[in-house]
Amino acid sequence: MSADLPPVPIGSMIPLTGPSAADGAEFRKGMIFAVEELNARGGLLGRRFEPIFADTCRQTAEEVVAAARWLIEKHKVHAIINGYNIGAQNSEYEPIADAGIIYVHANTLLQHHDTVMSDPDRYFGCFMADPADYWYGPGFIKFISWLRDSGQWTPNSDRLAIISGSKPYSIVIAQSMAAAAADYGWRLCFGPRIIQTPTNQWRDVIEQVRETQPAVVANTHFYAGDLAYFQRQFMEKPIDCLVYLQYGAMHRTFTDIAQEASVGVIVSSVIGLLRDDMGKRFEARYNARFGEGSTAGIGCQTYSNMHHYAVAAAMAGGSGAPGDFEQNRKVAFAMKGMIYRSVQGVIRYHPQWQAVQPYPVVTHDPSLGMPHIFYQIQDHRRPLSMIAPEPYNTERFVLPPWMSGRRPAAKPAVG
Amino acid sequence: MAEAASGATERADAAALSELRAGLEAVPAGVAIWSADRALSYANQRFRRTFEFPIAAGVSFDAFVGDLVASREWLLPGAPEEWERAERADFGRDKQGDYVLADGRVMNLSQAPSEGGGMVQTLTDVTSVKRNEGALREAKEAAEATDEAKSRFLRAANHDLRQPLASLKILIYNCMREADETHRAEMLHAMSVAVLIMEDLLGALLQIGQLDAGRIQPRVTSFQLSQIFERLDIQFRHQAQEKGLRLKFVTPRGTVATDRALLERILSNFVANAIRFTEVGTVLVGCRKEGRLLRIEVVDTGRGVRDEDRERVFEEFYRAAEERRGQKSGLGLGLNIVKRLADLLELPVRLRSQVGRGSIFSVTVPLGNIWHSEGGEIEISEMVGGEFAGTPVLLVEDDDILRRSMTQLLQRWGIEVHAAADEAEALELGRSGVAISLIIADYNLKSRTGIDVVRALRQQFGVETPAMIVTADAEPRVLESIREEGLPVLIKPVSPPRLRVLMHNLLFEPGLIFGSRQ
Repeated sequence: MSADLPPVPIGSMIPLTGPSAADGAEFRKGMIFAVEELNARGGLLGRRFEPIFADTCRQTAEEVVAAARWLIEKHKVHAIINGYNIGAQNSEYEPIADAGIIYVHANTLLQHHDTVMSDPDRYFGCFMADPADYWYGPGFIKFISWLRDSGQWTPNSDRLAIISGSKPYSIVIAQSMAAAAADYGWRLCFGPRIIQTPTNQWRDVIEQVRETQPAVVANTHFYAGDLAYFQRQFMEKPIDCLVYLQYGAMHRTFTDIAQEASVGVIVSSVIGLLRDDMGKRFEARYNARFGEGSTAGIGCQTYSNMHHYAVAAAMAGGSGAPGDFEQNRKVAFAMKGMIYRSVQGVIRYHPQWQAVQPYPVVTHDPSLGMPHIFYQIQDHRRPLSMIAPEPYNTERFVLPPWMSGRRPAAKPAVG
Repeated sequence: MAEAASGATERADAAALSELRAGLEAVPAGVAIWSADRALSYANQRFRRTFEFPIAAGVSFDAFVGDLVASREWLLPGAPEEWERAERADFGRDKQGDYVLADGRVMNLSQAPSEGGGMVQTLTDVTSVKRNEGALREAKEAAEATDEAKSRFLRAANHDLRQPLASLKILIYNCMREADETHRAEMLHAMSVAVLIMEDLLGALLQIGQLDAGRIQPRVTSFQLSQIFERLDIQFRHQAQEKGLRLKFVTPRGTVATDRALLERILSNFVANAIRFTEVGTVLVGCRKEGRLLRIEVVDTGRGVRDEDRERVFEEFYRAAEERRGQKSGLGLGLNIVKRLADLLELPVRLRSQVGRGSIFSVTVPLGNIWHSEGGEIEISEMVGGEFAGTPVLLVEDDDILRRSMTQLLQRWGIEVHAAADEAEALELGRSGVAISLIIADYNLKSRTGIDVVRALRQQFGVETPAMIVTADAEPRVLESIREEGLPVLIKPVSPPRLRVLMHNLLFEPGLIFGSRQ
C-alpha cells in the first residue's frame, strides 16, 4: 500500500448509544475487522480504507439523517456501510442520493423496495443487504406448515394467533403472516392485534389469546427484554401451542431474563451467521480479535457488507467521493452483478429492488439467496439450535416442554 | 482362314466384354450377375463396396445371402433366418425392396431374371430420396395436425368458456338489481375473477391446441392446492347456487407438485361436469393422502355413470344419452380434455360411480416440497404488503395538482385514498358511509381552514378520528393555532418520510405524536 495515497473514507451509521447499543458495538467491531483484513491485503487498489463511525443513538429519522449529513459533508465518505437503523423510514436516502455515494444497510424494510423502484436513477447507490421484513410472514407460515406436513408436530387445530408490536416492522410482519396463513391451511383466530410497545405487560393479551385456543401464537414485537417478559408471563400458565417470537429472542438478553422459560421458543432471522465451516472460522477469528464475549452473529453484517463493497469498488476501478456519480455508478453496477457468498449466506441483489432475496421463500436455490433461518431455544445456556431450512440446519425441532406430546396423525389428510 | 476368323471373333468378343465390364463399372448403381447355377458371374465395384464382407466371382448366391445376414449391416425385416430362407427361395424372381443399412444409408435392392435361368441384381442408394419423402410426410402430418388442432381448439374454447360466461351472466343480472353496496362489491369482485378465469382459460386452451401438436411442455412447480380451490369456488359458486346445489370445498393442507394451470383445468372440468349432472344434493371437492401422493376427488350426488360408459366418458365428443336427447349443453369435450391433460402430466385419473347415487372423479398428484411452494407474493410492494395497506384515508386538498400528487404517493403505500377538494365534498364522502381511519387536511382551504373541516368531520363521524394538517403557511401564529387544536402539522412541501412517520404514529403509536412534530 502506498503511504502517499489518501485513504478511502467509509462511513458507518451505528447506534453506539441508546437501546440498540449492544448491536451497535458489534456492528462497529464487524467494520473494524473487515477494514483491518482488507487493509492487510492492500486496501482498495493501494489505498487504505478508513472507517468513520457516526452514532445514531435512538435511530430516529432526525438522528440518522444528521449522521448521514455529517459523514458526507464533514468526512466526504465514499460509502456508508451499516448494520441496521430502525425508525429512519428512509429519510437518510435523500442526503445520500443527493451526494451520489454508495449506501449499504440491513434495515430489513419493505419500503426500501418502493423507494428504490420509485426512482431507480436517483437511488442507484442504495442497497439493502438483507431481505425485507415482509418475507418473515410467508417464511414463518411455510415453516409451521413444514413442521405440520412433515409430521414433526401435530397441531391441535388450524388456529393461529398473531400479536404485533406497534413499530412498522412488527406490523408489516404481522400482516404478511396473516395474509399468507389461509393458503397454507391456517385460520386466524386472533389478531393481528397491535400492542403499544415497548411494554413488559403481556398478561391481558395472553389471556385473550388463551380464549381462542390457538395451535400457534406469534409475537412480532422484537425487543429482547419485552419478549422475555412475554415468555415468562406466558409460562405462568402455558397454552398448548407453539410460540414464535420475532428476532429479539435471539439475543442473549432474552435468555438472560427468561431463563428456563425460554426453552422451546422458536425465533427466526432473515440474516444470521451460518454454522458451516466458513461461519465457524469467522466466529473463531472474530472472537480471537475482540474477545469471547463478542457476538459474531451480529458483527458479521457490517463485516460482510464492507467486504462485498470493497470487491465491487476494486472491480469498478476505485471508489467515488461525494459528487462522483460516474464512479459510484460503476461500483453500484459491480455490486448488482456480483453473487457474493458471505458468512451469512449469499448476497445477490435483485435487479429492481436492490435488496437481497430470501431463501427459500423467494429463491429456491440456496446459492442465490440469503437463508431465512429458524432457531429453537433448546437449552437456554447454549447457543440457539438452527432447525431450518436445509441445507443450513444443524439440529431438529423438539416439542416445547409446555406442550402435550401428540403422535403424528395416521388419518387421511382430509380437511 | 476359319481360325483367323475365329480369332478375330474372339478378340472382338473379348473387346466387347471388356467394354461391357467398363460400362457396368460406370453405372451409378451396384450390379451383380448371377448364373443359372446360382454362382456369381460378375459384380461391379459399387456392388462389392456396399458390403463389408468380400464377394469373389464364383461365390454361391446362398453363401452371399448367408454372409449378408451374418454381417448384421443390414436392418432386415423380420427374423434374419426367415429372410435368408425367403431370399434363397426367391432366386430368379422379379422383386425389389428398400433396406436401411447400419450406417444410415437406405439402399434399394432389385432383382430380375435373366435369360437362361440366371438373375441380375441392382443396388441403388436412395437415401436422399427417402429422406425427402420422410420430410414431406412429416410436413404433411404436421399441417394436418395443426388443422385438427385448430378445430379442437375452437370446440374446446366453446365448451370451456361457457362456464365462467354463465357465471358472469348470472352475476351481471344480479348486480343490476342489487342495491346493497357491499353485496354489489362482492359480485363485482366475483365478476373480475370470472373474467380472469376466462383469460386463463383462453391461455390454457391455446396451450391445448399446442398440446395436440405436441408442442406443450408442462411447467411443474410446488404450490398449495388451496389456491386452486379458492379460484374454483369463485368460478362455480354462483352456478351451483342457481341450481340449488351445495358446492363444498374441503380446503386441503399440503403442497403438491405439478403444473398448476393444467391441474386447475382438470379440476375445473370435473366440477363443471359434477354441477351439470347433479340435480339435487352436493358437490364436494376434497383430498385423500396416499403415501407421497394426494388424491383430489370431486364427489357428486348426481345421476352417475353406467359401467359400460366408464371408459367412454373420456372420449372426445362423448355425451350421455340423456344429454344428447335434451340437447342441453356441452360438446362432450370436458373429460376428454381432462384425459389428455392428465396423460401429459402423467397423473392417474379415476372414476367411481353408481347409477342414481353419484360419481367420484379423481386425479392423483404427487406431494411437493412446501419450502418451494409458490405463493402470489413474489411481486411484493408496499401497495400490498406495507403497514398502511388497505387503510382508508380522507384527503382534503383544494389544489388539484397537489391533491393528485398526494393521492398518488399515498396509493403507492397501499392506502385507500378518498380525496375531496373542500369541506362539502369531504362531508359528502363521510355521509356515504366510508369508514375513515385518518384525515389529512390542507390548512388554507377556500373559505374554511383545515381545522374547521377536521372538526366538522369528527362531529359527523361521532369519533375523534386521527387527523393531521398540512400547510404551506409557516407563520408561527398559524402553526400555534393548529397545535392548540391538538392537531399535528406538516409543512409543505411534505417530505414523504416525515409524512410516513406521522401517519404511523397517528394510527399505531399515538403516544409518540408530540415527539414527531415539525
